[in-house]
Amino acid sequence: MKRITQMLLAFFLVLNISGVARAEYPDSPITMIIAFTAGGSSDVQARIMQKYWGKYCKQPLVFVYKPGAGGALGFTAIAMSKPDGYTIGGVNTPHIILQPLLQRAPFSIDKFDYICQVVNDPQVVAVRKDSKFKSVKEIFAYAKANPKKLRLGLVGPNSGHHLMYLELADKYDFPVTPVFYKGAADQNAALLGGEIDVMFGNLNDVMRSLSEMHVLGIASEKHDPTLPKVQTMHELGFNVVSYIRRGFVAPKGVDKNKLAYLRGIFQKIANDPAYIADMKKAGQPGEYLDGEAFNKWIHAEEQNDKAILKKAKLLK
Amino acid sequence: MMEFIGPALLHLIEPLNIFLMVVGLTGGIIVGALPGLTATMGVALMVPATFAMNPTSGLIMLGAIYVGAIYGGSNSACLICTPGTPSSVATTFDGWPMCQSGRADFALYTSLIASALGGFIGTFGLLFLAAPLARFALSFGGPENFWLCIFGLSTIAVMSTDNMVKGVLSGILGILISTIGLDPNAGVPRFIFGYYPLVQGIEVIPAMIGLFSFSQVLVLIGSNRTYIAEFKPTKGAFTQVFKEMMTKCKVVLLRSSIIGGIVGMLPGAGGEIASIIAYNESKRWSKHPEKYGTGIIQGVVSSESANNAVIGGALIPMLTLGIPGSAVAAVILGALLAKGIQPGFNVFSTTGDLAYTFIFSQFAVNLLMLPVGYLLAKIMAKLLSLRLTFVAIAIVMLSVIGSYAINNSMLDVWVVLIFGVVGYFASRVSLNTGAMALGIILGPMIEENLGKCVNLSSAMGGSVFDVFVASKISVLLIIMTVLSFISPFILSRVKKKDATCACETAQKEDHHA
Repeated sequence: MKRITQMLLAFFLVLNISGVARAEYPDSPITMIIAFTAGGSSDVQARIMQKYWGKYCKQPLVFVYKPGAGGALGFTAIAMSKPDGYTIGGVNTPHIILQPLLQRAPFSIDKFDYICQVVNDPQVVAVRKDSKFKSVKEIFAYAKANPKKLRLGLVGPNSGHHLMYLELADKYDFPVTPVFYKGAADQNAALLGGEIDVMFGNLNDVMRSLSEMHVLGIASEKHDPTLPKVQTMHELGFNVVSYIRRGFVAPKGVDKNKLAYLRGIFQKIANDPAYIADMKKAGQPGEYLDGEAFNKWIHAEEQNDKAILKKAKLLK
Repeated sequence: MMEFIGPALLHLIEPLNIFLMVVGLTGGIIVGALPGLTATMGVALMVPATFAMNPTSGLIMLGAIYVGAIYGGSNSACLICTPGTPSSVATTFDGWPMCQSGRADFALYTSLIASALGGFIGTFGLLFLAAPLARFALSFGGPENFWLCIFGLSTIAVMSTDNMVKGVLSGILGILISTIGLDPNAGVPRFIFGYYPLVQGIEVIPAMIGLFSFSQVLVLIGSNRTYIAEFKPTKGAFTQVFKEMMTKCKVVLLRSSIIGGIVGMLPGAGGEIASIIAYNESKRWSKHPEKYGTGIIQGVVSSESANNAVIGGALIPMLTLGIPGSAVAAVILGALLAKGIQPGFNVFSTTGDLAYTFIFSQFAVNLLMLPVGYLLAKIMAKLLSLRLTFVAIAIVMLSVIGSYAINNSMLDVWVVLIFGVVGYFASRVSLNTGAMALGIILGPMIEENLGKCVNLSSAMGGSVFDVFVASKISVLLIIMTVLSFISPFILSRVKKKDATCACETAQKEDHHA
């Protein structure tokens, strides 16, 4: 009798303990994987989010940096982590689209569950303040008249800038010499130092040296509030839009409720006026898209990009 | 500028800022002294703490940690021949022999004073020459950077005067190792043999921790000693060192600091390269180059003043162009951007308060380093009284933890272990580990810039050589590189001539006598 009571007691204890383990999600800290170095643009934006995360979630957000290979290492780490809702990460497009296509990266856009998009950074066409080019049309005219003489700076290869160049070169006559740089800072320095004549850069990065440059066109659908006078490429007669977007994802297979919870928190943060003000102060062009919309956009974009790459013979 | 000096100095004497400077210095020196923990890590760890402070105080603290860590690396470099940070690799060449001959306190005080003075000169450059130097740095594009890196590699020729071929081969081996990973120009993986994590390449810091720190642990253990070295503290060592530096080392100090400042300004090149190049150059121009490596003050002075001068240099492009001159400057830049401070040429006018307070805090930190460093050095010297076993265990632990903490990647830990073994056998095959380290660091930069030259050449009609000779700076650098390679031969011939002359005069005197 004593034995049976003991065993029954043990049995109920075990049931209770596992019951405790199934407490409300999340019950331990959530890991955020950042695929770039500490202090970079992606990190800055994620840290701003972290500031407001504490308001809406009791568990802390713990940052883990896995930089390398232009973000590919970090994206791989996110895709390969356990889909238990306790690991999420920041991703960038078109990086996550292009890297599997061109760099044999071991992940793909289908290996993620999308939480939301937070940043939409359009590309701009910029020249030095004292440059002889006063409009995008002049640049294209000069390129046509002097093939290969114009030096165009891009971050890359296999980046959003590279794609914009390939698209323009395919749709219009644009014989220039593209020069690739490791990062936006090097690209800025090269333009200011005279090594290149014109560059396609991110709005966010160009803002750093705005006083020394002229922005001649912006590859977005609407005018940007930070540079309201700059015309869109569409208005200037060139049918191209090009953005670098940032968002947050979880590895594919996360429980539906947990994903909904994560999406809910990020939505609350993105709509918080204090967060919006902080993003403006840091010069980050924020634009919120919910998980499903982001997912749809990325898959559509992949088809676009594949077409451009095939035409440029970079993809078979 | 004048109107900012007053408020800047007032900010400096705020109690919070003084507290942050001292705490930052102390923390930085300790992090720097521990092998396996680097300056970048120390600064990056404290960045979140700055979010709660106002930008000026946060910047002051990060700057203090940076200075402390770069100096701190010399402590372990001298005491246990294990560079605490990669910037102190060249300090081991002369600091360790000094320690082994019982003069550890001389070594520690030399590096302290040299670091402080080097830091002063670097900050001086930042204060007065930021704008013109930044514009000068802008004129360094693909071809110029390419030849500058090749010139940096050419200083290897001086490193191993007895066997230049082996030195060059070690450098080339280092470059070959650096090709593992992603091709910088085509973005395609290379030499990864199907193991995807290798796509990040062989990270420089774990490789250096392995080559110099971990290999040294193996050597120490193999030496079967109970204690690392005998330590006979000399009274008044500090004043002796100070006097000797002021009389015999002025030129070395100035030249090394300038080299440090210039290398610091170039993006991607930091203390590791600066200290090795400064050491090599001091050796090249010294009257007794054979003494380098035996434990002379000049050796420690050249390395330590260069790596601290790098700080001032790295901050110049960071503040004026938003282009960090070193890895730590990149972290600090991120902290600034998160606070909404935009770098640019008007950082000295629109955010002049912040900029000038920061610069003056750097002067203050270099001054404060003398008392703080002096106290800590006395404590660190007690390390020599610990049993070797414990020290060795501690170094191994720190190397593993430190290298893993960089990228959260086990690959880095393997790199440390493998390069540790390579470094251990290095001396038996006369592999020059310093040259190899230079190759690993400079390899990617050389390739990237060569790629840019090739890209640019299509705008010039297709010949890369046209690109090379297009700018005056590149041509100058090419000439300097050639001279750098032949200088050892010329200098040794000159010395032989002097020696034969001396012999002849001695013989003549013999005859007369």
